[in-house]
Amino acid sequence: MISQGRTEGVIVTTIGLAYLMGAWAIPHASVGDPLGATTFPVILGLVMLILGLSLTFAPDKGTAPIGLKKSLGGIAVIAGLLGIYGYTLPLVGYPLGTFLFLAITARYLGEKSWAMAIGLSGGLSLGIFLLFTKVLDLPLPFGVLEFLKG
Amino acid sequence: MMDVLGHLGYGFQIALAPINILYAFIGCVVGTLIGVLPGIGPAGGMALLIPLTYGKEPASAIILLSGIYYGAMYGGSTTSILVNIPGEAASVVTCLDGYQMARQGRAGAALAIAAIGSFIAGTIGVVFLMFVGPPLANVALKFGPAETFALMVFGLSMVTSLSGRCLRKGLVAMVLGLIMATIGVDLPTGVMRFTLGVPKLMEGFDVIVVAIGLFAVSEILLCTEQLGAGEYVYHKLSRVWITMREFLDSLGAILRGSVLGFFIGVLPGAAHVTASFLSYTLEKKFSKHPERFGQGEIRGVAAPESANNSAACGAMIPLLTLGLPASAVTSVLYGALLMVGVRPSPMLFQKYPEVVWGLIASMYIGNVMLLILNLPMVGMWVKILRTPPRWLFPIVLAISFVGVYGVNNSALDLIIATMLGVLGYFMRKTDYPLAPVILGLVLGDNLEQAVRQALMISGGSLDIFVQSPIAIGLFVLAGVVMVAPQLIYRKGVRLETET
Repeated sequence: MISQGRTEGVIVTTIGLAYLMGAWAIPHASVGDPLGATTFPVILGLVMLILGLSLTFAPDKGTAPIGLKKSLGGIAVIAGLLGIYGYTLPLVGYPLGTFLFLAITARYLGEKSWAMAIGLSGGLSLGIFLLFTKVLDLPLPFGVLEFLKG
Repeated sequence: MMDVLGHLGYGFQIALAPINILYAFIGCVVGTLIGVLPGIGPAGGMALLIPLTYGKEPASAIILLSGIYYGAMYGGSTTSILVNIPGEAASVVTCLDGYQMARQGRAGAALAIAAIGSFIAGTIGVVFLMFVGPPLANVALKFGPAETFALMVFGLSMVTSLSGRCLRKGLVAMVLGLIMATIGVDLPTGVMRFTLGVPKLMEGFDVIVVAIGLFAVSEILLCTEQLGAGEYVYHKLSRVWITMREFLDSLGAILRGSVLGFFIGVLPGAAHVTASFLSYTLEKKFSKHPERFGQGEIRGVAAPESANNSAACGAMIPLLTLGLPASAVTSVLYGALLMVGVRPSPMLFQKYPEVVWGLIASMYIGNVMLLILNLPMVGMWVKILRTPPRWLFPIVLAISFVGVYGVNNSALDLIIATMLGVLGYFMRKTDYPLAPVILGLVLGDNLEQAVRQALMISGGSLDIFVQSPIAIGLFVLAGVVMVAPQLIYRKGVRLETET
């Protein structure tokens, strides 16, 4: 089985190679600019590729195994919730989206009472929203609750 | 000397006028609020509040804006320490040890040393600004593209070589940051690079989005894993105050950070970010216990916080004497100065003494004010850490997302931050340091532009990099800091096997 260190090397090599191919595809349009838009990315891609190959063929042995199977579920749920929260934020709006995100995540992380989850999430989402929009003048989306403004 | 003191006395007369004290106070309070809550940042906050300066005396307007600047810088370190959310790029370094201190129940000491370090550094910075400011401006003028490039190479090598256990992994992290910096429109040619046809990517990755993703989001993912496995270490109930021993331990770091930060602050580029990264790295390099850094070492908070603050004073020199704003914040100050009818130039000290010396004196008053404002608040901040993790984690994520969304009002940034959070989680698990990614991203664009400008000037000849003694010196130093730790490490391993 391929070792963790070698897997890291393969991933870094793939990133380097993909980036290098992308760098080569950049149009080389430059007048009076000896390097143009291409050279710097090509150099970076080459360095990444060399580092990746070096980590593949002479892997670093000092890192403890990360033990993915045990942890992946919880990480995937939180990252998934966060991704959905971010993706839908402009549509759903900050107050409602944050309320749902806080309540669901807190429940997932061990909040036993639904009443507590709903009450606290409602208060917090509204509080954060008002603080940023009213006190700091930072525009946050109202989303589906837009009608409440008018 | 007497001349300078006389001018400073005049400056204090202006800054201590009741109305100006009020402006400095408002600036510090608003600035701290902006800094504590991510999303706006010092430059954005100052730009938003420029309308407040309309119709005011030039000195009052500048005093108000610089109060916001210091307040925001200080406030940014608070969230870095408490919940690992860096409010701006320079605060990333404060996260490294500050957050670990908070986890160990020493949040009070970390916050206090950040306040005290910022105060001492601000004071030293102001004194330097008075005495060595004008001659130093000429040194900054000697920094052309070749020297700027060499300085950045030095900064990147220094931070990368000492930031992790494995040099190759540090280099991967740094190149990853530089790669991220190439995404977007290439300004000199207008060519799109790596935008994958996504219009929002034309502006590239914002450093706040990357910093929050890599640090705050990945931290919550890591903590969630620990919580699920029953390995989560609850924040210990914190001691609110710093001990005398901790203060004395940090004093050297504060002084070194202050001096280094000031001189780097004078130079062009993302100076205050480089200053905080370099001061941290130097402190680690010369420490008797470098292994303690990253594990809650108080010097790891004291040094970068001090460097950050004195770099802010250093950055005033090219701004005031040459009209060269070297960062986003000083650009806003430059704009504000122009709006109130003051044009920064070498004659500024003579033509508008009330503005320059009023500003210098108000920096001093601002430092005292921030110390008085912030030390009593340490106890209040520490209480936040008692929030149970099932609530603390989602709240941190929701507030972080305001910061990310506030950058461009874009949902894509939120997705990017989430993905970077997952990337950061795996990087931490596999010992890839995160700090070089941020420094690479911050310096990447300037680094590329500097090398391209240098080669345009030289007509494509690489000789330009070896014609300047400053550049040669910096390249040699960069080589030494890359190679030396490896040699020392190998020698240590050999000695161990021999014995």
